[in-house]
Amino acid sequence: METNPSHTTTSHYEHSSYYSPLPDHSSQPSPRRPLKGFAVIFASMIFLMSLVTLIIIQSPEPASLEKPEKDQPLSTKPTSFYNISTSSVVLPRGVAQGVSAKSNPSLSGHHGVSYNWTNAMFSWQRTAYHFQPQKNWMNDPDGPLYHMGWYHLFYQYNPDSAVWGNITWGHAVSRDLIHWLYLPFAMVPDQWYDINGVWTGSATILPDGKIVMLYTGDTVDAVQVQNLAYPANLSDPLLLDWVKYPDNPVLIPPIGIAIDEYRDPTTAWLGPDGKWRVTIGSKVNGAGVSLVYKTTNFTTYELLENYLHEVPGTGMWECVDFYPVAINGSTGLDTSVNGPGIKHLLKASLDDTKVDVYALGTYFVNNDTWVPDNPAEDVGLGLKYDYGRYYASKTFYDPKFERRVLWGWINETDTEYEDLAKGWASLQTIPRTVLFDNKTGTNILQWPVEEVESLRLNSTDFEGVVVKPGSVVELNIGTATQLDIFADFEIESLGLEETNEANGGCRGGAVDRSSLGPFGLLVIADETLSELTPIYFRPTNTSDGGLQTYFCADERRSSKANDVFNQVYGSQVPVLDDEKFSMRLLVDHSIVESFAQGGRTVITSRVYPTEAIYGAARLFLFNNATGVNVKATLKIWQLNSAFIHPFPLDQIDTVKPLQPF
Amino acid sequence: MRTLVFIVLVYLVFQIIFLSSSQCARLSSNDDNLIEKTCKQTPNYNLCISSLKSDPKSATADVTGLALIMVNVLNTTATRTLIHINSLIHHSPSPKIKKALLSCADMYYSGIITADVPVSIEALTKGNPKFADDSTLDAAKEATLCEEGFSGNSPLTVDNTSVNNVARVTEAIVKLLL
Repeated sequence: METNPSHTTTSHYEHSSYYSPLPDHSSQPSPRRPLKGFAVIFASMIFLMSLVTLIIIQSPEPASLEKPEKDQPLSTKPTSFYNISTSSVVLPRGVAQGVSAKSNPSLSGHHGVSYNWTNAMFSWQRTAYHFQPQKNWMNDPDGPLYHMGWYHLFYQYNPDSAVWGNITWGHAVSRDLIHWLYLPFAMVPDQWYDINGVWTGSATILPDGKIVMLYTGDTVDAVQVQNLAYPANLSDPLLLDWVKYPDNPVLIPPIGIAIDEYRDPTTAWLGPDGKWRVTIGSKVNGAGVSLVYKTTNFTTYELLENYLHEVPGTGMWECVDFYPVAINGSTGLDTSVNGPGIKHLLKASLDDTKVDVYALGTYFVNNDTWVPDNPAEDVGLGLKYDYGRYYASKTFYDPKFERRVLWGWINETDTEYEDLAKGWASLQTIPRTVLFDNKTGTNILQWPVEEVESLRLNSTDFEGVVVKPGSVVELNIGTATQLDIFADFEIESLGLEETNEANGGCRGGAVDRSSLGPFGLLVIADETLSELTPIYFRPTNTSDGGLQTYFCADERRSSKANDVFNQVYGSQVPVLDDEKFSMRLLVDHSIVESFAQGGRTVITSRVYPTEAIYGAARLFLFNNATGVNVKATLKIWQLNSAFIHPFPLDQIDTVKPLQPF
Repeated sequence: MRTLVFIVLVYLVFQIIFLSSSQCARLSSNDDNLIEKTCKQTPNYNLCISSLKSDPKSATADVTGLALIMVNVLNTTATRTLIHINSLIHHSPSPKIKKALLSCADMYYSGIITADVPVSIEALTKGNPKFADDSTLDAAKEATLCEEGFSGNSPLTVDNTSVNNVARVTEAIVKLLL
């Protein structure tokens, strides 16, 4: 790979035009008629030639199609038909108003029309305590940081519609990572270098407290470049205004990297030579790669010849993240920390398969390379952060509580038509702390930040509930749509279990019975179980006398509506000898975040029930094993709403900078 | 003077020929092969070939350009289907059929034409093809759901099948860009 010591400036687009100068001809004026005739012939030849040239020279650029008018934003509900003039155009039926929440009984469950969604069903889907904008589309979390007592979240946002497009940076702040307040946009696509999208980026906090934001801009020519931005006023705790560096972009795609495979710069980390490193994911010959740049000033960069790492066959790496974790540690680490007792985690979002993958390994700072602990479980070949609907995650270091905190984008799994009808799409997870798993040594643990506990209202305890094979037990806790559930399970042998049973994993779903499982919880279920979402364990005895356990979420019966995309998600989870099967669930309307064994395996699910909503949603225990009883102990909290709302900016003068810590 | 005129005219003619041939050099075999190579990686080779070749721009398009041409075909096919749905609604169908038709109109208008197609175009032209992948898959799904809504008595089978096939070919081309 070529080094490209780029001292890049804005004027780097070169157009080589090919034209041939016309030969000079005599400019003697002559009144003779032949000259006039010649002039006519000459003019026609020029005209003909230009015409022919125009026809022949085709633009090699991608064909540009008629785009919808920019000043006609997609409406959240279909209000008018296409503008083909037919005299008796029928307006498509929008969302029925005021229809009862009871589903249409005439349809036999599986096949049917696009579901007869009501406003009540759509409204119920909005979450109570997960971050989401008031309306429209959101995707990747950006530049999360902590500054003067406030946590900041930026996010990819479409101001015009509930589908992706016109990407802008939304902005919100919180004292506690849970109660968020919306702020005005931080950055909009208003420069030639980001006019086609202010895309994903990361923040670096410098030792003197300055904030550097690096983000990808899609230029007017649809080239992906990296730009620098910084707060207009560092003493503003809300960081309302941002300044784009006047000489942007600071990085353009190097030779060998495609102009549309160069995005999502990371938080920088400091090396022992006093230089900062930043990495950007890309793709070379089908291999995911992590390019490394060194800089001292964030305006000029040196591209290193080597990649930080590459993994053949994994495709484009988006949203790369790279950070240290402490072995046998109990806190997170600043991104620049290095030394003994530390591993580095390298993560990528895989464009091909839309999953977030990671691996633990060793960072060699002397040559800026990283090597996985286990090459067989390299980035993209092994572990995922989350086995459900989850993408574009990003971490930051929280100095207030010395935590490494992880954000993740949760897309919808219904259709775009439904997103437009309900007027919004996508959520962020509850932020999670990330710690090295000292017990297994091969993975990280994710856990919802402690501050989520501030939402707790009342709790209900269940001690030693025995669930027999093939049975379901209702847990009477009142409303079951906003919950924090802790559940432990023990297996009680009935002498019926099989040894050396093949473990089909999660694929068969919760109805696929084996002797030791599945067992777990049925969330967002209605009383008749016409809709339910099982979150469960499936252990099997292995031939060497051990246990292999899968942790799964089965969404296939989560809704009677057949137009939502649902499947069975999950993965193996290590359950150590002295451990019970334990899960923690955060239930919040149309999202369920499920954590097994303290966060060793995590699954985020989206559900869109039509019956199991509002007061009709229930919670059950279930045991679908054939050979064992299951004994469950649970503590279930009702959670309050986080009441996420706009920051009262008219009261801004009363916002004093908060004392740090 | 006349010889000078003659020389100039001959020169201009040669310019035209030269320009044409240099452009033709760019137009030749490579791009035909690209269309064939691309279409071989889709689930419906013949549909892919005929759709792409119906647009003259396909001759000089790269893979992104071919994907955009297919999105245009998807748009056209979906719009024709929507017109068909509209005319069927006005032919006094039974309440059950009418309900399914209205539902299909929603899916075609709000789903495919005003969401999936514009998002795909934007994603492809801005170099973030994964959103086009999601949207073309969504379009195939909308067509399938529309068809399923008639529980076997669909008057739109040809249209829905067509849209579904076009969407799947489009998605296959988009996947080549990921």
